[in-house]
Amino acid sequence: MGNFDTNSSLAIIVLAALIHASFQASVSVLTLLSGHALGKKTAHTRLLRLTGGFIGGVGVMSLLLLSGVAFILSQLYPTSTPLTFWAACCGALGGVGISVWLFYYREKRGTSLWLPRSLADYLNARSKATKQAAEAFGLGLTSVLSELLFVFAPVLITALVLIRLEPELQLLGLLLYTGISLLPLLIVGALIGGGHTLAQIQRWRESNKQFLQFAAGTALLVLGLYVYVDRVIITGINTLGVR
Amino acid sequence: MALAVDVVKRSGRRPTESFDADKLLRSIRAACLSVRSPEGEAESTAAAVTNAVILWVETKPAVTSHDLRRLAGAHLERYHPEAAYFYQQHRAII
Repeated sequence: MGNFDTNSSLAIIVLAALIHASFQASVSVLTLLSGHALGKKTAHTRLLRLTGGFIGGVGVMSLLLLSGVAFILSQLYPTSTPLTFWAACCGALGGVGISVWLFYYREKRGTSLWLPRSLADYLNARSKATKQAAEAFGLGLTSVLSELLFVFAPVLITALVLIRLEPELQLLGLLLYTGISLLPLLIVGALIGGGHTLAQIQRWRESNKQFLQFAAGTALLVLGLYVYVDRVIITGINTLGVR
Repeated sequence: MALAVDVVKRSGRRPTESFDADKLLRSIRAACLSVRSPEGEAESTAAAVTNAVILWVETKPAVTSHDLRRLAGAHLERYHPEAAYFYQQHRAII
């Protein structure tokens, strides 16, 4: 329950980060933010500052969230993580995976998410009111929190894996997770900066939403199963073998 | 320009307000600019769509904001399909 294979740990972190990256609330808010900014004839450099500020906010919040959860877990389980806790986390991953399949997108046109409408309206209103990069940064922080219900599962499993790594690998894992989870935002930001229209981006998102939903849900189930085998069953067998 | 036509807001939760053609014009122009339409084209498209909506609204005592958006989107589709897509999607992005 103490030391695990580093490659296996990094693979779990990468898969969890890819799952995090497939969640769409931040991409939606970035699309809205850019749409409102362009609609107000905002200069290109300011638009880039706004998208940069937003992506920075999402990155910082993801980093803080993961480090915070890892810190709490390291205080709770300083030497080793109980098998029951690993098993419970695997169950949570499976539950969230099925929830993604069932609830992630609303069954209507567009890319409406499961978010309560009041929260979605609030994020929409804030993206419209955002004029400064600092406000965009704050909006980025908020957008991660708005999706905490789904994001929590990959963050939790990554934190559990991170606290059993060597300190330098912990830092690498933290940066790897944050970097990968930011990829969709960086791509959308680059497309907007490169002159692509938001309608093209939104059309792509709409036409691929069911694939993304299926992929994220399935990946959560696969990750849960993998972690269960790797961290619960194999560790359990090894422990029994030692006895 | 406000016509004596009431606009019933979405879900009926917010109070009704008078039809404001300038507000509609601004929203259409913003949709055009959002998809990187040149400013002149955005202005002329917004004016054409707003005029078409005004012709329809004038015959009604009250309309819903949903109807306004649907009708404006349908007219915008004729002038600028990409802007119309973004305009119609606006409430369904998040």
